[in-house]
This record gives sequence, structure tokens and C-alpha cells, in this order.
Amino acid sequence: MTEYLVRRLLQSVLVLFLITLVAFGLIHAAPGGPTQMMLSPGLSPEALKVQAHNLGLDQPIHIQYFRWLGNMLQGDLGHTFKNNMPVGDILWPTVGNTLVLMGVAWLLSLIIAIPWGIYNSTSTYGISDQIASFVSYVGFAMPAFWFGILLQELFALKLNWLPLSDMWAMGQEGNIGNLILHLLMPVTVLSLGFLAAYVKYSRSSMLEVLDQDYIRTARAKGVAERKVIFRHALRNALIPIITILGLDLPILVGGAALTERVFNWPGMGRLFIEMAVAREYSVLMAITMVTAVMVIIGNLVADVLYAVVDPRVQLGRKGGKAA
Amino acid sequence: MTKKRYWMSLFMVLSLLGALLAGCGGSKTDSAGGNDKPQNTNQQTDNNKQGDEQNTSDTGTPKDGGTFTFSSPSDIVSINPIFVSDTASGDAELFAFAKIYDLDRAGNLVVEPWSLAESLPDISEDGKTYTVKLKSTPKWSDGQPVTVDDIIFTINTITNPEVGAPGISEYDKVDKLEKIDDQTVKITLKDVYAPFGYTLNSTIAPAHILKDVDPKELKNSKFGVDPAQTVSNGPWKWTEWKQKQYLTFEADSNYWGEVKPHIGKVIYKVYADQNTEVQALLKGDVDSVQSVPLTQLDAVKNQKGITISNKPGASYEFISFNFDPNNFKDKFIPFASQKARQAIAHALNRQGMVDNVLKGTGILMNAPFLPGSWADPGDKAVNYAYDVEAAKKLLAEDGWVANSKDGILEKDGKRFSFELQYNAGNSRREQISAIAQQNLKEVGIELIPKAIDFSAWVEQNLNPGKYETVLLGWSLSNPDPNQESIFSSHYFPEAGQNMGWYKNEKLDQLWIDGYSTVDQNERKAIYADAANELSTDLPYIFMYQYGTPQAIGPKVKFPEEDGPEPTRAYGYFYHIIKWWVE
Repeated sequence: MTEYLVRRLLQSVLVLFLITLVAFGLIHAAPGGPTQMMLSPGLSPEALKVQAHNLGLDQPIHIQYFRWLGNMLQGDLGHTFKNNMPVGDILWPTVGNTLVLMGVAWLLSLIIAIPWGIYNSTSTYGISDQIASFVSYVGFAMPAFWFGILLQELFALKLNWLPLSDMWAMGQEGNIGNLILHLLMPVTVLSLGFLAAYVKYSRSSMLEVLDQDYIRTARAKGVAERKVIFRHALRNALIPIITILGLDLPILVGGAALTERVFNWPGMGRLFIEMAVAREYSVLMAITMVTAVMVIIGNLVADVLYAVVDPRVQLGRKGGKAA
Repeated sequence: MTKKRYWMSLFMVLSLLGALLAGCGGSKTDSAGGNDKPQNTNQQTDNNKQGDEQNTSDTGTPKDGGTFTFSSPSDIVSINPIFVSDTASGDAELFAFAKIYDLDRAGNLVVEPWSLAESLPDISEDGKTYTVKLKSTPKWSDGQPVTVDDIIFTINTITNPEVGAPGISEYDKVDKLEKIDDQTVKITLKDVYAPFGYTLNSTIAPAHILKDVDPKELKNSKFGVDPAQTVSNGPWKWTEWKQKQYLTFEADSNYWGEVKPHIGKVIYKVYADQNTEVQALLKGDVDSVQSVPLTQLDAVKNQKGITISNKPGASYEFISFNFDPNNFKDKFIPFASQKARQAIAHALNRQGMVDNVLKGTGILMNAPFLPGSWADPGDKAVNYAYDVEAAKKLLAEDGWVANSKDGILEKDGKRFSFELQYNAGNSRREQISAIAQQNLKEVGIELIPKAIDFSAWVEQNLNPGKYETVLLGWSLSNPDPNQESIFSSHYFPEAGQNMGWYKNEKLDQLWIDGYSTVDQNERKAIYADAANELSTDLPYIFMYQYGTPQAIGPKVKFPEEDGPEPTRAYGYFYHIIKWWVE
């Protein structure tokens, strides 16, 4: 296990390095640049050239890349072009804010979706199953931002029950009650999206297991239905669910740009779009890194958990898993 | 399967990045870059408040204290006067920094109680020397007096190429600066340059704080980005900045001006989404939205207590023709002749565009001088009424014949077809280009609209002047009619913004004549000639003056003469020192 983890870790470092290379190339290959956001009569092209030179943007791309990499390895994520702000100062607060929003939405949807999906698998096409189907369709079909605007119109403007946007009311930073009020609407929007998927996953995964011979055998032997479900079937049904959860982990940092925009949530998704428009290369690189690290961790967690729930899987064999 | 998903996820991360960079539409529905220090014209406004219900104006007694909150679609970059170039930073700067001179509604340079200057600049006989005298009262928030050292430092810093200040070209006419005493400075220009007075409608930076900073390092100074380290000289002090969320300003108890601000606290709130911004106004979370999207205008209009000011602002939109044959297939420019361009002007239903797309927040223009300004040429500029028959007649005279297959005009075997570029995400331009396409089709011209991401557009098409036609706007924050850097052949790319490679020697001379005298009547006549030449020859089709409606919530009050003035840059906070909140 330890050996396996070390190897995976080394692999991850290599993958990260490749990602930075590709991302850096992509970002710099995109037309336009940080000094191109200004156009006005009388603007002097010399001024722009001087600015590009001061920012080191006139250097060949590989020099720029290695300089960025060198700084990054020393823990320096760089500064914004426009006002020389340390990237970390801008990025880390938004990562935290997004984790709060997405974490709550994700956990909430899991707590509801998995038991609900499993229950529905035991009584397919019942009332509960029909409702779940309907909720899933709505969740899949309704664009998150649109649903968000509807909620805002109703609860913030018409009824005046909830705050319209932001993470805290001004001056209330740190007040948990205030945070919960602000979380209600965006979490509802995001949870519905997750819920739609996870209810379906857990239902179909459980159904597949319940169709296996050993379940039929257990039932034939007269084992109580509850015991069949919880003792025999559940653990196996969880395997694919856990995999998907691990792979979905990166959503926690990057999956809510539009929802963040609508609710003016000071998160990373919103920052990413803003910074892409402004061509703030250092911030974009840092966000890409955070997302990539989450993808790698998510996969690792999925693989390890897989081994935990499925004794047939042994980590450390060549190829990682034999499933 | 997991392996595959793993690589898929990584691929997705990179694809998303690629997609965003390739085509994320910056939805700045403003002028060219929303940049705000153009060296340009403006006007004086007709003071009748057409379409401007000022029910917020109040003859009641002003109250001191209270909080005024306004929204902004983007966060500031820096409020250091040396580096401010974007609207968002300019919005914040105006609360914390006083200007040497201010402007009145008509766009004249004036001395207000809150201006740093004591009297208007004294201009020498030859028009080259401006003597500026400051009041003795202005102080920085750290108690130091404001002196001409600050002016000299600011001008010298901005003109130093090592600094990389965006306003470098504003002061390139300055030859020398002489300090007479702490309150008086003599500014001598290389040549007579009439618009220079307006250059002094600007803020200055504190020399005593920044003079020892290495010019190359100034950009990295905390001044202008850290409230605790930003010394200011305006009515409000900058107290807080929570990045991407909000800024706060508080009335400076030691403010030097005779007229003190009524509003106790100003909150500048950043909203990523325009729809949310408008909802926040309706809910009462913010008191002013400076640019209500036209699609939401009706919803806001019907709200009790909300005032809409929808007089067009200091911006105009145009279609620019390109005259460089290298930008065209077979080097053939379909609108090379004046007649063809005039036909296009007649074929466009500009009034229909103003009525339907701009919902009335626009006024037709026939020259680059804003309607109602002192340089407004009136009838001297040719007005092209919407007239399909006249357009067809001109095209026939120019030798164009309809092709039998699809009705598109042809001449010498070449089709009358061209591309019109605009910035993706700008819904106004998207609609206008669709209408233009329809209008031109009626006279047999094929127009192909193309949306491009703003930053890429500037770099690849606008700056180098590589396009067939573009739909763009200029924001005029300087109330002077001089637009040499847009139309003169001395300003071809990349020396200036004559991006269409337009060459007209008569006009080149008129621009020079226009700023080589400080006599306004003489200038007016020169710009009337320029307007006539431009509107006849049509390097641009001047579409309309446009603006973004401002909505003000019920809490905000101001005396009628101190209400917003859309035609001034930052006019949505015109005389805000006299506003108060109930």
C-alpha cells in the first residue's frame, strides 16, 4: 500500500508538470493579452510596449514558463499584471469560499440521494421512484443559473425572506447564522444538480447488485429482506458510487462558476472567468493547478476507497487495480 | 474505466481552460475597452432633461451621515492617479481624490469649491503657457499640504516611459514645468494645443509619499491598492477593500474643502452578474446602478421610487471602413468609392436601431462631435436618412449590377460582400449587426457579422488595423472635439487609432488647425468643416450617441442642479459631494 501510494504520488508529480506545460502554452497561445484590454483614442503604443516589457511578456515563451515554474517551486504563485497583487492573496480566499458552498451542497445531496436511490431500487416504479425520476429530469434539464434567478425572484424579491446574493451581509462576516441564510438558495440550486445524478447512480447500481445470483440465493435461503439489502447488497452497490464520488471531487473547486455569478458568491469559478477575460496568466495558472491537484487527489481517493470496499482489489499490483 | 475517466477529467480541465481563453466573451457592453482616459472630445449638453425624470431631486434639507451603496460590474485595479485607466478604478478614485479643475454640465473647465485650483489657468498670448494656481487650503489625508510639487511630480512620472503609465500620451505636449511658488506652476507646451486645458481636469498623486520610489517599482507600490497606505485629498477616505467583493469610503473628518460631503459612508459593491445587480437595486441592497441592461429597463422603470436617467452618455458607435487593400480578398475593396459608402449610409435604418435596440437611449449622429456640444456641426454634417431607393441609385451609378442568382451586387466579377466584426458578448452590437445585415441585403449588399472575443479582437484586428469593417464605439471622457488620433493619417497603426488606414490630407490639416488656436469660435468653424468632410467622405458611418441608463434608488437625494450628468465621464456621480441619503 505504501509503495503504491509513493508510486502514485510520483506519477502525479509528473502529470502535474505536464499539465502546467500544456496549460501555460494554451493560456499564452490564446489571442489577446493583459496589455490588450485597453483601447482608446490617443493611447500610445509605446506605453503598451513598455508595459509588456516591464511585465516580462516580451520574453520568449519557454523563458517565461521556466521563470514561472521556478517561482512556483519556491511557493511563489506570482503576481497579477494589473496591480501586482500576490496571486495567493486573491486565490486562496476564493478557494475556501467555493469549498464551503460546494461542500455543503455536495454533502447534502449525498445524504439525501444515496438512501433515496437505494430505497427506490427496492420498490421500482413506486411513488417515491416516480418523484425521484421527476426531480432528476428537472435537475438535469433546468439550467442552474435560471433556477437560481427564479429562486431569487421569489424568495429574495417577492417574499423578502432570504438575502439576494453574496456570502455574508456586510459587517456580518464570520456569523454562521448569516452564512446559512446566504447558503440556502445557491445550495438548493447546486444540490438539485448533484441529486439528479446521484439518485440515478445509486438506484441503478443497487439494482444491478440485486440482480446477482448470490442475492437470489440469499433470498431463497429465507434471509430477511433488510439483511439482504444492508448486509449483502449495499457494500457491493457502493463500489461504483464511491468511484464516481472520487472522480467528482474536483467539482468541489470548479463546478459552480455560473451559480457563483448569479449569487455573487466570491468563489473560484467566478474568479476564473473574470481572470480569463482579463488575461491574468498567473492567476489562471494557479487555478488550473488547484483544479488539477483536486483531480489527482480525487482519483487517488477513489482508488484507495475502492480497495477498502472491495476486497478483490489489491493496490500495488502493476496497473493499479484488477477489477 | 476509472483510468479513462481520470485522463478524461484532466483533459476536461485543460479543454475548459482552452475554451474559456478562446472565446470567453467579456461582456463589457461599454465602449471600446471601457477605458476611460481617452484624449478626446466632448460637448456641452442641452440642459433640458429630456427623458430624465428627476423625482429624486429634492429641495428638502440635506442630512449628514448615512450610507450610499452603488454597484459595479468589475473590481478596481488601483486608485493611484498615475495608473487609473479603467472605469472601475476611476469610479473609486473620484471619491478619494480631488481634481485640479472640474467640469460643469456644459463641459467647460471650472473651479469648484472641491477643485484644487484657485482660479482658471492663465493662458499666455501665444497660447503655449498655462499658469496654474492652487488654493492654499488643500491637504492630503496625512495632514501634508497639497502643492504644485504634486502636480510636477505627477506629470513627470506619467511621462516617464519607465513607469508604464497609461496616460503617457496626454502629457506628451508638455515642454517644461516651472515652479513659481508652492501654489503656482507654469506649464509650457511644445506647440499650441487647445485641448490641453482638459488634461488638467485630473487628479494628482502625493509627491511626498512617492517621490523616492524607483519609477520602475512604482507599479508595485502599495499606494492605490492598500487603503492603509493610500494617502488621499478628496472628500472621502478609502477605508477597506475586500477583493472582488467591495470597497468602502468614509467621509474624511479633516477634509479641507469649504463644502463638506453629506454622505457618511460610500460602499462600492462588485457584482459579477448584471441581472443580480439590478435585482439588488430592486431589493434595496444598492442605491445606484450605473448601467442598467436595456433588456431590464422596463422592469426597473415600473418600480416605485426608482429614478431612471436615460439620456445618452459621452459615447458614440460607428462602423469603420478599412482602406488597406491587403485586408481584402484579391485586394478588392468593395466600398472603395465614396458613392458606395454613402449608399451604405442610406441603406442603414439608424433611427430604427435607436428606437428598437437602444430603446430610445440614443441620438443619431452624423459626425464624431456629440449632439449638443459646442462643436456640434448641426446641418454642416450630411445626414443620411434611411432611404433604400437613394441607396440603390447610388450603387447603380457606381457601376454595381445585381447578380441573377442571389441578387447580390457585382462589379467587374467581384461581389459586394464584406465582414463586420464586433466583440462577442455585447448584445447591443450583436443586434445592431443583425439589423445592418438585413438592411444591406435589401439593397443587394452581403454583410457577414462576426463576433470575436474582445481581447483577441484588439490584439489581432483593431491595433494592427486588420479587418474589413468593424462595429465599435468610442467613449469620450475629454470634452474636446479633437479626434486627430482616430482620423489622421499621422496616426496609422500602431502609432494611433486610425485603424482603417484612412487618408485624407484636407482633414489631416483641419485637425492640426483645430488645436492650434485657443479661440473657441475659430475652432468651432474648423470642426464644422471637418464634420462636413467626414460625413461626405465617410471613413466611418456614424451611427448614434448612446449611453447606459442609470437607476437610482429611493433613499438617494440631491438638489436638482446637482443631479447626474450622463454626458460627462463619471457623470453618474456628478456633484456627489452635495448628495445625501434619507
